[in-house]
Amino acid sequence: MHGLFRWRSKWWPGLIPLAIFWAIAAWTNTSTVESDLAARSTAALKDTVLDKTRIAVAGRDVTLAADAFSEDGRSGAAASVQAVPGVRRVNDETRLVPEAKPFVWSAERDVVRVTLGGSAPLPASKVKLLEAARASLGGVEVADQMNLSRGAPPRFDDAALLLLDQIGKLKDGKITISDGKVSLSGMARELGGREAIAAALKNLPEGFSAAANEIKAPPYIFQAYKDPVAVTLTLTGYVPDNNVHTALAAAAGRKFFSEKVVDNLKASVGAPSGFANAVMPALGALSRLSTGTLVVSDREVKLSGDALYDAAAVQMRAGLGKDFPPSWQFKADISVKPQAAPVDATVCQQLFSDLLAKGKIRFESGRATIDPDSLGLLDRLVETSLRCPAASIEIAGHTDADGEDGFNQMLSEKRAQAVADYLVKAGLPASQFTATGYGSTQPVASNDTDEGKAQNRRIDFLVR
Amino acid sequence: MAYLVTFHWGWLLASLLLGFAMGWIAVVHRGPGVSKRTSLWLAVLVAALVAAALARVIPGRPGYWLDLGLIMFACYLAGCAVGSWLRDWVLSRHAPAA
Repeated sequence: MHGLFRWRSKWWPGLIPLAIFWAIAAWTNTSTVESDLAARSTAALKDTVLDKTRIAVAGRDVTLAADAFSEDGRSGAAASVQAVPGVRRVNDETRLVPEAKPFVWSAERDVVRVTLGGSAPLPASKVKLLEAARASLGGVEVADQMNLSRGAPPRFDDAALLLLDQIGKLKDGKITISDGKVSLSGMARELGGREAIAAALKNLPEGFSAAANEIKAPPYIFQAYKDPVAVTLTLTGYVPDNNVHTALAAAAGRKFFSEKVVDNLKASVGAPSGFANAVMPALGALSRLSTGTLVVSDREVKLSGDALYDAAAVQMRAGLGKDFPPSWQFKADISVKPQAAPVDATVCQQLFSDLLAKGKIRFESGRATIDPDSLGLLDRLVETSLRCPAASIEIAGHTDADGEDGFNQMLSEKRAQAVADYLVKAGLPASQFTATGYGSTQPVASNDTDEGKAQNRRIDFLVR
Repeated sequence: MAYLVTFHWGWLLASLLLGFAMGWIAVVHRGPGVSKRTSLWLAVLVAALVAAALARVIPGRPGYWLDLGLIMFACYLAGCAVGSWLRDWVLSRHAPAA
């Protein structure tokens, strides 16, 4: 052992090849060591939630730069890298992501895309939101403009996912979460969408509330088009429910006595209040036009077309607005159809008979008040009368055999007179008409059946 | 340390063998040795380098190279000691016979 002290003075020559070994080892292994440590450090951070992680290794020293989402996450990340075997020092350049105050997140939909903006709390929730947006929107492009920030309210992901479900129901608009306040604006894609969104907002997680819901519903549209060439009435658009649908279809059948009714109506929620009360008189006015279009959009009624004669146009322009419920607007664009050429008495009689074969003038039961459903027919009779200026016309009222003869006689006279009054009010000379009542003395069918009685209750126009 | 050893075991073994060979030769070597004064200075230098390595004051690649160099040097010294001791033992066994 003692010899060691003696011999060691002779060990120095080996230092020269040792230095050469050392140089070669350092030369060949440095980059291998560095990449090995970088890979191990990256693996050690796999389960740590970080953003923008950068790992640089010099020798055995690791420089870790990253955005962390909490103070714990930040120190935990440095500790994980420090624990990697072989790492000598960790230069901790991590920082906390900025805190957003207020924490704002938004989803905006326009014609071509949905843009997610504002702040998301974690990279995982950002990915989750993007995936949810793509899933709920089908083929619509989803643009990501979200930043990562701290300070999200609890259960933010749940709230944002629920709202992303709603963005599919919008045609355009914006949904914003600002801390716990949710605000929505824009236009629903379909009728009922606004109501569906309002219902979904009730399921927002605890801590979130709808501060402003300014989603508008698309206009509630009802349209009717009277086509004199095809002799059809086409109904399109929406009605509130099946009861209103049935009532409207029945009324259209009565008012449009010669036209075929094409019914393309669909039931939908979201009708303005007083819908049926507004549409009924508007349909009545349309029935008095030769050709025309009725458009009901929310609370606005637009009627355009050709009236059969001047007085009808004036009546409709002035009078119709009064029939609508309050807060409804009425716009009339009514012109007058040019009067057709006069015809002789025989043709005149033929035209009257044709019209009265297609439809009947109706009255209230037992009274001489003309049913509003018959105004369309009466206007056609006025139009025909205008073409027969030379003819003297007898308006003959008939009843069925029910009730007393005296009453029937009086009723038939009054009803005939009511029709004559209507014609005179329309601008025809009173001298052209004579109103006569025949009671039940001239039946055209048996009074034993209801159908026969209905045929006997009638007004005839006779050209003398 | 364990990482350096497992990663560079080939180079450390080479240093050990080099040291063993040098130690083997040193016993019968007749050339000049290092003076006591110089070896004292060398010891101080090595101690300073070891202290620097343990304190991890040298950053980055030079720090890694220093660690590697010191470990290889330690293996070399160990090899020298074993080599010299073994040679001396072999010689002393043959000496009485001579």
